[in-house]
Amino acid sequence: MQYELAITHLYPENLNLYGDTGNLIALKRRCEWLDIGCSVKNLEIGDKANKDKTDIYFMGGGQDNDQLKVVEDFHDLKYKAIKEDTENGVVFLGVCGGYQLMGHSFIMGDGKSTRGLGIINIDTKAPGKEVKERCIGNLIGEINEQTYFEMSRMYDQDRDLPRTLVGFENHSGQTTLNDEQVKPLAQTLSGFGNTHNGKTEGARYKNVFGSYMHGSFLPKNPHMADYLIWLALIRKYNDRSIKLPSLDDSIEFEAHSYIVDNYAA
Amino acid sequence: MKQIAIVPIVIFAKILTWIVKVTKRGSGTALPGLIVGRRAPWVLSYLLEQIPHIIVVTGTNGKTTTQTMLRSIIETDNQVVLTNATGANLSRGILSELLKRSNILGKISFKSALFEVEEGTLPRIVAQLKPEIIAVTNLYRDQLDAYGEIDITEKYIRTALEKAPQARIVLNQDDPRVSKLAQGLPNEVVYVSLPEELLTHFPYEGIQSKKTKPHKQSVKAKSIQIHEDLTSEFSVEGKVGDNPITIEDIRIASPGFFHVYNALVAITIASLIKIKPETIKAGLQNFEPAFGRGEVIMKKEGTKAVHYRLLLVKNPAGFNLNTQLIQAIPNLKILIAINDNTADGTDVSWLWDSKLEILNESSISSITCSGTRAKDMHLRLKYAFNILPEIHTDESLDWALQHTFETAKHGDTIFVLPTYTAMLEIRKLMGRQLEE
Repeated sequence: MQYELAITHLYPENLNLYGDTGNLIALKRRCEWLDIGCSVKNLEIGDKANKDKTDIYFMGGGQDNDQLKVVEDFHDLKYKAIKEDTENGVVFLGVCGGYQLMGHSFIMGDGKSTRGLGIINIDTKAPGKEVKERCIGNLIGEINEQTYFEMSRMYDQDRDLPRTLVGFENHSGQTTLNDEQVKPLAQTLSGFGNTHNGKTEGARYKNVFGSYMHGSFLPKNPHMADYLIWLALIRKYNDRSIKLPSLDDSIEFEAHSYIVDNYAA
Repeated sequence: MKQIAIVPIVIFAKILTWIVKVTKRGSGTALPGLIVGRRAPWVLSYLLEQIPHIIVVTGTNGKTTTQTMLRSIIETDNQVVLTNATGANLSRGILSELLKRSNILGKISFKSALFEVEEGTLPRIVAQLKPEIIAVTNLYRDQLDAYGEIDITEKYIRTALEKAPQARIVLNQDDPRVSKLAQGLPNEVVYVSLPEELLTHFPYEGIQSKKTKPHKQSVKAKSIQIHEDLTSEFSVEGKVGDNPITIEDIRIASPGFFHVYNALVAITIASLIKIKPETIKAGLQNFEPAFGRGEVIMKKEGTKAVHYRLLLVKNPAGFNLNTQLIQAIPNLKILIAINDNTADGTDVSWLWDSKLEILNESSISSITCSGTRAKDMHLRLKYAFNILPEIHTDESLDWALQHTFETAKHGDTIFVLPTYTAMLEIRKLMGRQLEE
């Protein structure tokens, strides 16, 4: 059976910093190599979102002004459809600014708090006075157990997948996860992640994922890219027995291990 | 008091520069300025005040090439000008240069100076520099983690211009972020531009404000040709001050439309300081590409010689422009060298913002990836190519140079796309030292 996935890129015109388009490039290419049909639709400011049309949403980060514009538009034209989709298990990935935006509140460069999109119960606050600098640098995390457990069973053969996620973070906001249903995506091994004291990185609620990792995130973490694709497939086709063929990811994992081996604190 | 205090400082700086050089710990372009700048911040103004005429070039791309072109024009006019060493464009680099060029009494004899100044540094030192002319080349997205956001960079430059009411300003009219920088300011402004049909080549951001009447002063390039040997030829016409200016058939040894912008800025500044058109033309003819910006280095072993053309890449804009430039060359041999040191930007995410997919149209003979982030580069190419050509990857630049040399034929040209520190390392490995 030929599978097909519809990807929606949210606000590529306004939220396009830090190479996060690499995530789209990775999803498209990997679908192609996995022999999954894949279409990408852009939703910009002014476009209305419709429910049940998307299998994976992606949103990157942008500059302050652009993020503000986006919040207003989201609540006007997209919230209802996308909230219903994500509550129903549609996959959503937000990176850095995109991750912060997904929560109930986030902060601007000047430290002012603003309403967010509200699709995951997290808040992002300005760092307290004890924190002097932005969180910048290579970031390595250990994937949470439940997610890794599923991930390691999504292929049609046994694979020795790294337990780590790697990327590069650059943010000042400090993100807190507010309820039991929202789990950290990873435990921070090196770098900061959600908060300056560096315990956890990213978040997961149902199939909504947020991460501080640029780098780009999905190309250097192909197991994560495949996991999002797999989650989208088993939901869309309502079949948990779907397995993905194993691609040759040697170049991906070489780039991945290079970070783990050379940049861990 | 300062006349006395300056003496031990200058002596200290000169000894330090010497030690850094002798122990081969660097070129001495940063450390003396860094230490003196921290301990005795007054020294910068003290030395700058002695130079009556100061010109500043800033912008995300093209600072170094513009500076080198203008220097060549000024020297062709038989004038001497003090410049900061290539890429040493933070205040420490400028201070180091001043300390090096002063005598031990702290006296500087230069009548004019030409500095390339990093965008974020400019508002902090513009009051000390008191430039007569400030030129802004462009505002592309630069190293992602240097400031976080391009809007901030734009504000930095605007702030600097506000603090320099005495300066005449040269702006890129085609870059929406740059062309509006002088709005509402009392300064005299000259705008440079390329023919409209070429603008799609450039990753400008923002929407051009609709202007109702033409600028009073502007310099435009026309009849641009890029030749097979990657030199560029063009003519300019326009008006600077009250004088019309026309120069035909200018040839520069730098490849690409983006270098025509740099030449336009250099021509405009030269006209502002009243250098004659024929001298400007000759000066640009004499110009040799600033290192790493189209410079060619030959590697020889026995009777075999291979050319390495260095095309610095430091952000997606530069990567795209340089890739466009070489993509039609038959049997293309490329060496991409990506480092992630501070001067390169420690975040390599920008590789994913670069549109390397256009290489699918190229006839590729060989690709080698090197530098500390060689594996990231290899990965980027894996996702860019529809059919992945064979790619050789190794972090060692020494290995990469040897490998590309061994697999090339006599007379071949290797196009090297290095980040800043990778470029310095490659030059060093090929026996080129930093400029004096």
